Amino acid sequence: MSGGKDSADASSGRFIRRFLRQRNAVIGGAIVLVVLAVAILAPWLAPHPFDATDLVNVWAPPDAVNWIGTDKLGRDIASRLIYGARASLMVALSVVAITLVLGVALGMIAGYFGGRTDGILMRIVDVTLAFPEVVFAILVASVLGPGMATVIVSLALVWWPGIARLTRSLVLVQKQELFVDAAIVAGASPGEILRRHLLPNIIAPLIVRASVGIGFIIMAEATLSFLGLGLQEPTPSWGSMIRDGLPALRTDPYLAVSGSIVLGLTIIGFNLLGDGLRDVLDPRLHGR
Amino acid sequence: MFRYFLRRLAGLTPVLGAAIVVTFLAIRALPGDPVGVMLSDHSADVAMATRLRAEYGLDRPLPEQFLRYVWDIFTGNFGLSFRYVHRPVWEVLRDSLLISPLLALGALALALPIGVLLGVQAALHRNTMRDTAIIVSLVAGLSIPNFGIATFLVYLFSVKMNLLPVAGWGQFKQAILPIVVLALPSAAYIARLTRTFMLEVLQQDFIRTARAKGLAERLVVYRHALGNTLVPLSTSAGIMFGGLLSNTVVVETIFNIPGLGRLAIDSIFARDYPVAMAVVILFVLFYALINLAVDLFYALIDPRVRQEIAA
Repeated sequence: MSGGKDSADASSGRFIRRFLRQRNAVIGGAIVLVVLAVAILAPWLAPHPFDATDLVNVWAPPDAVNWIGTDKLGRDIASRLIYGARASLMVALSVVAITLVLGVALGMIAGYFGGRTDGILMRIVDVTLAFPEVVFAILVASVLGPGMATVIVSLALVWWPGIARLTRSLVLVQKQELFVDAAIVAGASPGEILRRHLLPNIIAPLIVRASVGIGFIIMAEATLSFLGLGLQEPTPSWGSMIRDGLPALRTDPYLAVSGSIVLGLTIIGFNLLGDGLRDVLDPRLHGR
Repeated sequence: MFRYFLRRLAGLTPVLGAAIVVTFLAIRALPGDPVGVMLSDHSADVAMATRLRAEYGLDRPLPEQFLRYVWDIFTGNFGLSFRYVHRPVWEVLRDSLLISPLLALGALALALPIGVLLGVQAALHRNTMRDTAIIVSLVAGLSIPNFGIATFLVYLFSVKMNLLPVAGWGQFKQAILPIVVLALPSAAYIARLTRTFMLEVLQQDFIRTARAKGLAERLVVYRHALGNTLVPLSTSAGIMFGGLLSNTVVVETIFNIPGLGRLAIDSIFARDYPVAMAVVILFVLFYALINLAVDLFYALIDPRVRQEIAA
């Protein structure tokens, strides 16, 4: 193998090469890049405003003006699909960010201090995991009402316990290391040890673990929007677009079908990328 | 064994307790006055409002309201509905009670054999075209949302081929599509797990021994290898039940099935929070009971666990 100039360079090069060897992960990564670009560039890519209604031109079939046709209010389906990428990614990234902050903080506290704190926190984790997922959506939607906040909060409630558990186990291993003893001897406070010494050593697998779930978070967001608990009109979400398209499936299938395809492809992309990342980063899977 | 059962049953207390406390707090934390919701256009009628407030116990201090809430749950009527004034929650959800868990169990029963079969096939033909084809369909099965699958199947079997009813509940024919839609992602998940477990077990020494002593390959695979994947599989089946229960909400909405899940969504939109909270508690209870059953099941099939319990 051709050696890099320094070790960090070599290891990132090896990482990229190993990643590129996995065809599925590359396909997934390409899909994810397209979705990201569409979400960021939505205002420039969309041929029409996502909320411009045209009541004389409802349920129009695809033509040169409306590439995929229009919905029940005459809004351009293609533009709404493009803006829908924003809603999906916004929810997914918010949920990942919240679960990381909450799960990592609580997991680190439980793992580092142990004892009674650990017992109470892990009990909360166990009880949270003993609730079926949909229960959180029902609870949060009852309190906050349908909307983006409900989706983000209820999904964060579902995802944080897993991250907290993983964080705790990583801290339990790391805190045996010599550098932690050294920091204690040097007079570092527990807060400093957690933030400056332990966190940098455990954060990489945690970010990977949280990102692997993005496909499932996007699916959950679409499901809640499909049920009417998620994003509200006129903001487009793929889930609510599919729901709007279902009653017209017989006569005007373009809305439901195009929404399902875009959503399905996006989730497949994130899942393929996630599986690939996990395989590349899991040290048990490569011998050398 | 019986003492083990009792101990596991007592272990459910914190989970159910948490569900009761959280649902009570959620009802209390709701913005607005429930009596206002019930009266709607009679909201100026003070005498009626006072009477309703007394009937629903809303004029009592919070601790007393909580005790009454717990009492109502244990006596089984779950308090009074906001939407159907004066009617106990139990009466509202009685007819829907078992539909969601039955759908979930039906889906599990369908998904298990399909998933195990696909997983074994993929593991036995590892890295061949057959394995790749199975894996590709698994990724698709896990990635396409169930309402997308439902849309496609309804379009195909009900609209195009006119074989099955579009929606409804009561006949066997009407249960087929909902159960299939629920079962597909689970079958994909089970297949993936089975493949992983099988690949691991097939490396073990006792498999080589079984082959070396001249046992038929079919017996080696299905008795020795598959038998040893049953314990981890049954644990996953218990966890999967929670996901299936969650997905019944979607399936009941699409197929217009009067189950608990759809009732919960309807109740949220109708601001009938006591009914929605009762569904939360029931779902937590169903999930806990299934996982208890799974634990008991593998206490029965796994001699190691059985011995641990006896000790």
